[in-house]
Amino acid sequence: MSGTSHLAAHSDATPSATAVPPGNTPGQGRRRRRRISFDKASFFAVALLLPLAVYVVFVISPFVQAVYFSMTDWSGFTADMAFVGLDNFARLLGDEKFLRAMLNSALLAVVVPTVTIAIAIAVATMVTVGGSTTGGVRGVRGAGFYRVISFFPYCVPAIVIGLVWAQVYDPSRGLLNGVLTGIGLDGMADFPWLGDTRTAMAASMFVIVWSFIGFYTVLFVAAIKGVPGEIYEAARLDGASRFRTAVSITVPLIRDNVRTAWIYLGIAAIDSFVYMQAMNPGGGPGYSTFVISQDLYQTAFSKGQFGYATAMGVVLALVTLLFAAVVFLVDRVTGGGDDVRGHA
Amino acid sequence: MSTNKLTDGRLAQAALDRRTFVRGAVATALLAPLGGALAGCAVPSGGSGGEETAGGEMTADNPFGLAQDADVEAVIFNGGYGFDYVQFAADEANKQFADVTFEVSPSTQIAQELQPRFVAGNPPDLIDNSGAGLIGFNTISDQLEELDDVFEAPNYEGTTIADTLYPAVKAPGTYNGRFVALNYVMTVYAVWYSASLFEDNGWTAPATWQEAIDLGAEAKKADKKLFVWGKEAATYYQTMALNSAIKEGGDEVRLSLENLEPNAWSLDAMQGVLEALHEIVQKGYFVPGGAGTQFTAAQARWSNDQDALLYPSGGWIENEMKDATADDFRMTGFPTPTVSDSPAMPYEAIRAGAGEPFIVPSQAANPAGGKEILRAMLSAEAATNFSQSRLAPTIVKGIVPDDGFGSTALVSQTGMLDAAGDNIFNYQFVDYYGLNADQLVVWNAFLSGDLDVKGVTDKLQKISDDVAADDSVEKIEVS
Repeated sequence: MSGTSHLAAHSDATPSATAVPPGNTPGQGRRRRRRISFDKASFFAVALLLPLAVYVVFVISPFVQAVYFSMTDWSGFTADMAFVGLDNFARLLGDEKFLRAMLNSALLAVVVPTVTIAIAIAVATMVTVGGSTTGGVRGVRGAGFYRVISFFPYCVPAIVIGLVWAQVYDPSRGLLNGVLTGIGLDGMADFPWLGDTRTAMAASMFVIVWSFIGFYTVLFVAAIKGVPGEIYEAARLDGASRFRTAVSITVPLIRDNVRTAWIYLGIAAIDSFVYMQAMNPGGGPGYSTFVISQDLYQTAFSKGQFGYATAMGVVLALVTLLFAAVVFLVDRVTGGGDDVRGHA
Repeated sequence: MSTNKLTDGRLAQAALDRRTFVRGAVATALLAPLGGALAGCAVPSGGSGGEETAGGEMTADNPFGLAQDADVEAVIFNGGYGFDYVQFAADEANKQFADVTFEVSPSTQIAQELQPRFVAGNPPDLIDNSGAGLIGFNTISDQLEELDDVFEAPNYEGTTIADTLYPAVKAPGTYNGRFVALNYVMTVYAVWYSASLFEDNGWTAPATWQEAIDLGAEAKKADKKLFVWGKEAATYYQTMALNSAIKEGGDEVRLSLENLEPNAWSLDAMQGVLEALHEIVQKGYFVPGGAGTQFTAAQARWSNDQDALLYPSGGWIENEMKDATADDFRMTGFPTPTVSDSPAMPYEAIRAGAGEPFIVPSQAANPAGGKEILRAMLSAEAATNFSQSRLAPTIVKGIVPDDGFGSTALVSQTGMLDAAGDNIFNYQFVDYYGLNADQLVVWNAFLSGDLDVKGVTDKLQKISDDVAADDSVEKIEVS
């Protein structure tokens, strides 16, 4: 690690050193005494100060305000509010509905990324390196077609996906039960996929996974294309099977992309607002699909308790941060710190 | 490690990328949830109050003192009734005040859209605070104008408005003694059926739950069900149950529910209804799978496919299902069945109350303009326009003709109102305390057969108990 950072610092310094005309300034402390030209000042203003200002105004300040609101009893419809300290957070700990939502969000954060990534990697492998074992390394026949098809769901807005699938899952008129009864599974007639505590969460997760697979397939395809083909050829010559190649070659080599995908998917899954609101606005049977963001929305706009709702938002943010931290930790513990490509 | 220059550069680049990425990812993790979750929260900005328009002089023709050059803004919930009926009223008002500009705009998310304006102190002059996204009255009632002067004013025909209305229409808009919400539409809660289907099969509307269960058996023979429900509207059955229990047990039942008393859901009358409903569920007289069915799709199975015989709902049902109703359906309503033959209130008793609350915020620039639109709405032209085009009665009496503008449902609504006479009741605890969302979950489970009578009683009681125990919720005492 230290070797790497040293190199980094070195290569970082090199271009700026050469940019300065030699002999113009004395060697020691030349950076500090360099005249601030208009060119440089305007560059800093545009590239650094402006984004920073935007960031502070539109990102940092709302955060700070949100944390403050979470400690008030603000109703949301007046400018008056009283400071109540950590009361809202204490109340959250005893709020059964909120705890149930936390549990559901946690479940989503684990299952959705895992399943999505597994399927996306499988598809990406098949369309890039899973093809014929004779000739050059390539994907299965018609790989381009599958790649395009798998991307389709990602082009549809989430709210549309939610509404369409709610219809697909309709107990009596839905496509799913129509197909199931059509192939002779009469027990499935009138089965409420989104209305039964045993299936509602799984059915909702399926929709979320379905909508994300295409994008992550494309992401992993790009990553796999960045891996030199010789590695796959060598593996093949050594007699590695397709599965072994995927597990031992592909996954380690695109590890960074997988981690990125995990974090983005986890954030999307912990939120899940649009999907859940479209399929089960009430939170599902027995609150089995109720997520934190829905609780927040109801509390703020239906119950007029913005202070309490903001506390939920703060907790949601902390949960998300915690999730990202866990992903990094797991990645580090399982050896993600080594740069595999560097050694190869 | 290789000392090759190219490799070094690439390695360094990789390390840099990873660091940048870590920072980026952490920043994203910070941004995504908070940004999304809090984007809707507006920042209070002092609330200095809207720009007040100088008032005009109060005269008989101008009872609220609307300035002759005022700009009046109304935001109307665009739901089952649309919003153009208010535009119609505003046009009527414009005939009286030629130089006033009336602007009527629709919204489907009242709370979300108007919350920042309330905080900033410049809400619109008139709001139809209705729909799933309405602003809870317990949060804003003290920021609203009292509307008694609207009822005291003359309508455009010259009659005092109060004299033209159904009785007790102020009650549902009165909070802590202040009449702040003018509920415009008279809603009759009933159970609805197809008169033509019932005639063809020789069925009659059930007056007691036993008769309803017997009708369920008849329906089964015809390969139909008695009831159907949708996931977002499972609590329509709660409304029906409450109405039946109140008729059975009288005011005692109503008051204990309204005042969130600890035994409200276990009173005998309430239990009798729940047991009857449970039996109907157990016998399979409900179309299965309602907990997973969108409510208008479920309603269409009653109104269009006629798979179910009965549907409990408010009077809006005819308008709501207009495009999905079978030909010659002849939608007709009847009062909720009772538990026994000798209920405390007669069978004809119904729940009816004014709905669609219109409010005038005190901080609005032009409260007089908001009231002027209300005055126009309560005058004959606009009220007739509403009933005729929406097939629903307003709180203005004597507007609906005997043929109900050709609507059987409208005729039966006015018929039920007349038959009930003084036995009209209403209750508000569900809406006032915002209990519907929690109760929906319980009712979906109960109608699916996942809860027995004790289970549904305990869960509904807990919802009431939780609100009763929450000191931060302001209670209304009903007597």
